[in-house]
Amino acid sequence: MEVATSHTQPTGFIRRYLFSTDHKVIAKQYLSLSLAMALVGGFTSYLIRWQLAWPETNIPGWGPIGPDDYNAIITMHGTVMVFFVAMPFLLGAFGNFLIPLMIGANDMAFPRLNMISFWTLFTASVVLTSSMFVPGGAAAAGWTSYAPLSDNPIYTGVNRGQNLWILAVALEFGSFLMGGINFLTTTLNMRAPGMSLSRLPILVWMEITAAVVFLLSVGPLIAGALMLLMDRTLGTGFFRPDRGGDPLLWEHLFWFFGHPEVYVVALPGFGMMLEIIPVFARKPIFGYRTIIWSTIAAGLLSFIVWAHHMFVSGMDPRLATPFSVTTILISVPFAIIVFAMIASVWRGAIVLSTAMLFALGGLATFLVGGVTGIFLGSATTDIFLHGTYFVVAHFHYTLFPVTFFGGFAGLYYWFPKMFGRMMNEALGKIHFLFTFVCFNAVFIPLFLAGLKGNPRRLYEMSSYDFLKPVQQFHVIATIATIGLLVGQLPLVVNFVYSLVRGKTATANPWQANTLEWTTASPPPHENFRKMPMVYRAPYEYSVPGAPSDWIPQTEPPQPIYPVTAVAD
Amino acid sequence: MKTNEPLGLTAESLDRSSVIVWMWLVGLLGAGMMVFMLPIPRIPTLLLIFGIAGFKATLVIRDYMHLKGEKLMIYAIALTPLLLAIALALVLIPDIVFHH
Amino acid sequence: MSTAVQTASAEVPVGYESVAPPSGKLGVWWFLASEIMVFGGFIGSYVLLRVAHGGWPDQASHVNWRLGAINTLVLVTSSLTMILALNAVRIERRERAARFLLLTVLLGFTFLGVKSIEYTRELSEGFTPSSGMFWSFYYIMTGLHGVHVLGGIVLNAILYIAAVRGTLWSGNRRARVEFAGLYWHFVDVVWIFLFPLLYLA
Repeated sequence: MEVATSHTQPTGFIRRYLFSTDHKVIAKQYLSLSLAMALVGGFTSYLIRWQLAWPETNIPGWGPIGPDDYNAIITMHGTVMVFFVAMPFLLGAFGNFLIPLMIGANDMAFPRLNMISFWTLFTASVVLTSSMFVPGGAAAAGWTSYAPLSDNPIYTGVNRGQNLWILAVALEFGSFLMGGINFLTTTLNMRAPGMSLSRLPILVWMEITAAVVFLLSVGPLIAGALMLLMDRTLGTGFFRPDRGGDPLLWEHLFWFFGHPEVYVVALPGFGMMLEIIPVFARKPIFGYRTIIWSTIAAGLLSFIVWAHHMFVSGMDPRLATPFSVTTILISVPFAIIVFAMIASVWRGAIVLSTAMLFALGGLATFLVGGVTGIFLGSATTDIFLHGTYFVVAHFHYTLFPVTFFGGFAGLYYWFPKMFGRMMNEALGKIHFLFTFVCFNAVFIPLFLAGLKGNPRRLYEMSSYDFLKPVQQFHVIATIATIGLLVGQLPLVVNFVYSLVRGKTATANPWQANTLEWTTASPPPHENFRKMPMVYRAPYEYSVPGAPSDWIPQTEPPQPIYPVTAVAD
Repeated sequence: MKTNEPLGLTAESLDRSSVIVWMWLVGLLGAGMMVFMLPIPRIPTLLLIFGIAGFKATLVIRDYMHLKGEKLMIYAIALTPLLLAIALALVLIPDIVFHH
Repeated sequence: MSTAVQTASAEVPVGYESVAPPSGKLGVWWFLASEIMVFGGFIGSYVLLRVAHGGWPDQASHVNWRLGAINTLVLVTSSLTMILALNAVRIERRERAARFLLLTVLLGFTFLGVKSIEYTRELSEGFTPSSGMFWSFYYIMTGLHGVHVLGGIVLNAILYIAAVRGTLWSGNRRARVEFAGLYWHFVDVVWIFLFPLLYLA
């Protein structure tokens, strides 16, 4: 059995930085990959938005795009952002870096599997990137790859690219399956003495719930992907009506995974916000246990809501009501988590650091996304809103907050621990301002466009008279997109500069309680020189009568604390 | 690696119980083949052969994969996906079976 | 306080809190859970579509149930040899363990051999994956299962070589026999269902 043994750090560039089994190195590899792919994803959003605002023009830095190119670009945008940015950023990078540190372990349970999981994802991204350069171009059937559009090459004109897409996504699935097994086994088996499950930081709970949800939901889609590949290469007809197959089967198999997948992304994003808020409000999380139970409930419910993506697909209408009910139901645990986050901030001694700004900004924007999901979750309203820009705005108002606001919050917060240096707060705040303002400016107009009936996945709208009024929204959204993308430059500058010239970080610059802050910044190879002993839950901030406003988890109980409540 | 067996079980008896399970499995295979070959109407045939298959699977899982002596967590990990897969198939019946 | 040192045993390292079985076994079961979902997805889709389309009796009648039954016997016996190998590992009978590992590998090859005979005959009779929905499912499910059998053969062969060379007996490597066993039995269980689904129904 591979117990993470205490070994000396390997020497040599290749074993130390390239094929490392150290979870901290692997985490940084995931971070680099996700940020690189974010450039690709961001660039595709620039192309999409320019085309929509000023169709049939030459996009600066690219050229003109026609309808087929547009379909390929939106497919790449979605695929890259969900599978190659959000997942590696939130789970691969932060999950890998933080789980062993937060539980007091010296590495993951299966370090070599961890290394393989990263290189599998790397291979997947190479495959996906290569698909953009093969004859016929990249896959153009949407990130949802509905059959028969994806199944029969006549429709998109794409053949090899679609097969490569299937391969890339399958490899990505394999990578995160391996990662998930690692996260779960590590968290269950390698917690330091005293780190009971009820003292786990919320982020760890979120990461392992995400791991379980992913692990259980991806199987049927792997089956479906193999079937799609066979349809395309061996002449079978699983999803092709002209060969006796059923396209709806693809949709069911896809969304059975696709819906839990978005919670796989959302939960770690919340986890990051929930770690950061107590630190910068100097007060405990409100409702730790409630949040955990809500998370588990949301994870369970996530498996029985998927057909809300299929209300207008032609599926049996009798499925509409049950799935509407479950979808409305799932808003309850999420609402509880959001309320708990608000209550955690309420009346705190708030410090508006960059990390806190992003955490709060993520909370605020996610609220909009969550609420608009309710309109979509009810079949009756969804009939009008499905396939419109309302949906696009909704899912950007959920995915973007958790991935980017939550992710950036985590980046600013844990950068000192990862790299041993502080990031520049002023640049961070500029980054936040641009991101927050421009993000809202992109997507609020798109809600409005959707409400006016603007269908999505159209490469331009001028052929439709009824869409003339929405063109102005698209122009606003595009200008704001450019602002949003330009607004990421402060982050790039900050990140690179701080890596080389940032102020040296202490072990615990934020005065936080969780275990990763009890070791050096960055941690030594074995994480902790001595096995930590855990005595407390993670959120003991501003405990009445305590000598300081924070008490690390490793602080033994002091019997001389006054136990009587402060008279009020 | 020490065995997890309680005192009293010897190596021979371990092997014996493994072989007995195998004999059951072969016997059930034979029974299934007989059901298949006999002129029994379709539905009872199907019920029988899948029942037998379920029984065989249970034997392998319980005795060879040693699920019998495992912690509750392993049961949960093994059982949950099974129930989930069955639930998925059930939800798909209206669409795939009746509306193809 | 002790340093973060782990003992090289199958048990959870000294000091760590754990609510679960040892990591290797736990990891394998998580993996099997995901595999159940993969095969469950296939089997569910197959059953539903088969019922929807009237059972495909003309297509299904061309599979060789005798060879299928033989393969079931082969795989079930290989599960026996696998567990006998594990029993031998537990009582330190190294040669016996190696022998049973080898037998398991050979039985695995036998399974694949019989499968190839079936495929060859079926393909030569013109039954390809695109010959009909039944055949599509037949090839993809037995194909995926066969890939899993091959993977198991490779795993067990590696363990056999390690047993013979002696490297399997150092440290806690012998626990890998249990993990490989869990995987192998799982592959057997999948076949226990595929056999009636594809050959007898």
